[in-house]
Amino acid sequence: MPLAIETKGLTKDYRSPIKEPGLWGGVKSLFDRKYKDTRAVDGVTFKIEEGELVGFLGANGAGKTTTLKMLSGLLTPTAGEATALGHVPWKREPAFQRSISLVMGQRSQLWWEIPAYETFKLNQAIYGLDEADFRRNLDELVDLLQLGEHLTVPVKKLSLGQRMRCELAAALLHRPRLLLLDEPTIGLDVVMQKAVREFIKSYNKRSGSTIMLTSHNMTDVVELCKRVIVIEKGRLLYDGQLDKLVERYADHKIMRARFTTDVEPADLETLGTVVKYEDRTVTIEVPRAQMAASAASMLRSYPVADLNVEEVAIDDIVRRLFSHK
Amino acid sequence: MKKYWVAYQIALQETLQRRSTLIMDRLGGFAIVVSLYSFWTALIGDKTSFLGYTRAEMLTYVLALNILRSFVFTGRGWQLVGEISSGKISSYLIRPLHYYGYALALDMAQKTVHVAASIFEVAILAWLTGGALFLPHDPATWLLFGTAVVLSSLIFFFLEFMISSLAFWTSESGGPLFCFELFLQFAAGAFFPLDVLPLALRKALEMTPFPYMVYFPVRVFLEKVSSAEALRLIGLEALWLAAVFTGAMTVFARGVRSYSAEGG
Repeated sequence: MPLAIETKGLTKDYRSPIKEPGLWGGVKSLFDRKYKDTRAVDGVTFKIEEGELVGFLGANGAGKTTTLKMLSGLLTPTAGEATALGHVPWKREPAFQRSISLVMGQRSQLWWEIPAYETFKLNQAIYGLDEADFRRNLDELVDLLQLGEHLTVPVKKLSLGQRMRCELAAALLHRPRLLLLDEPTIGLDVVMQKAVREFIKSYNKRSGSTIMLTSHNMTDVVELCKRVIVIEKGRLLYDGQLDKLVERYADHKIMRARFTTDVEPADLETLGTVVKYEDRTVTIEVPRAQMAASAASMLRSYPVADLNVEEVAIDDIVRRLFSHK
Repeated sequence: MKKYWVAYQIALQETLQRRSTLIMDRLGGFAIVVSLYSFWTALIGDKTSFLGYTRAEMLTYVLALNILRSFVFTGRGWQLVGEISSGKISSYLIRPLHYYGYALALDMAQKTVHVAASIFEVAILAWLTGGALFLPHDPATWLLFGTAVVLSSLIFFFLEFMISSLAFWTSESGGPLFCFELFLQFAAGAFFPLDVLPLALRKALEMTPFPYMVYFPVRVFLEKVSSAEALRLIGLEALWLAAVFTGAMTVFARGVRSYSAEGG
């Protein structure tokens, strides 16, 4: 498979003014302004093949959005290299711009006072789509995103979910080969989140486009992405299959046991870390190496009615990564 | 070019859609014209002329200001500052589009609506004041005036664009833009003809692009300058336009390079 994205040591520093607190701090900063350099992305290297759907994860401020902005050509890196669809993104060549789209959940490209259809017509002209292509793509998007009657209503009158779907349609009208999605389900209710997720999955399958997605919604990631890239404080922490994260970052498994009579939870601490005991059911985190022995001991020493051993849920692991635990 | 034409059409729709903003804008402009008219009428008093302007010429100057304000002083500066500060400009920078062309298309839409409204207002005012206006008979004057005004409008657009582009480096670029607009009104002759000013100050202002925006075009219209002089002024305007266009493009391109695409 040809590469859609390749980065080598991608680095971005930001410079921001520092202001001491209070009024006097404000006066001082008028005459003697100090600046602080912050490294938002620090030597990130990865490759993404065409057609992949990759989750890009990290806590707030980890550098996800900055990386997406560099890959879309919005930001010029301080150091390092990147190519996207064979172009250096920040050269902003029209051929590159016609092949990509960046959707930021909190930003809108739609014209506020008039119906979304007008923005679509503008994008038709901007991306040079002929009428037949425009019609075909629009009909398909209207159908997939169930836009129907929303196309003729002024954007300001649409709900957040309706607007987000129009936003996606506007971003996809020109059938980008590379789609960068930054928090596409942010602020949406669960029903709309599911609809948007299903759309992204189906779009990826139908068009074969490469999609890179950031989300704090773990359901998005678990349902859409086989591969994830995790960054922390601008540095690459993990790049690989989502399920392999479990092996790498979960050093324990979860043992759940239901008892026939009451048991003293403190006694169970010898088997692992007791997370919860409720209604004669205990949840214990057990180190992987100790799992077989703990399970055997549990069955031998306690009145067990039912016993389950599970891997730690992926979203728990990613949450732990996010919260630096 | 088609994309800019479509942008113009959509912007036209949006401008018309924002009825209250449009009405408020027009009322504000109308109030300025009425104030200036009353002020100059009081100054002229019983005299037949004042500072070299007859009553008809002065009235024409004031009414022409209303149309010129609508045509020349409607840039996209505040929009650019807002879009840079909020990060909305990102959505334009990643599309195959020249932002300044797009902004110019939007500006043209705004001008279309405002000029149409201002012509209507001027017609009412001219009727209310007895219609004693100065209208040139020579078609060449109209042509020279039209050329001068188009160039003025572009000078203003790119000058404002350049100043607004400072928002790429500072979140406080609203300040310079505000000062620019305030100074502009005075230096362009939008409050009074620059003949009112002391000669030294007027000469100093003539070294800047400001008088080319209102004062010179209206003098061309009032046939206060010969055709040869008008052509010379238009040539100078073209030079100023080239300078501010180059400046605006350079500042904008540098700004985009140093852009930090604020916000998540």
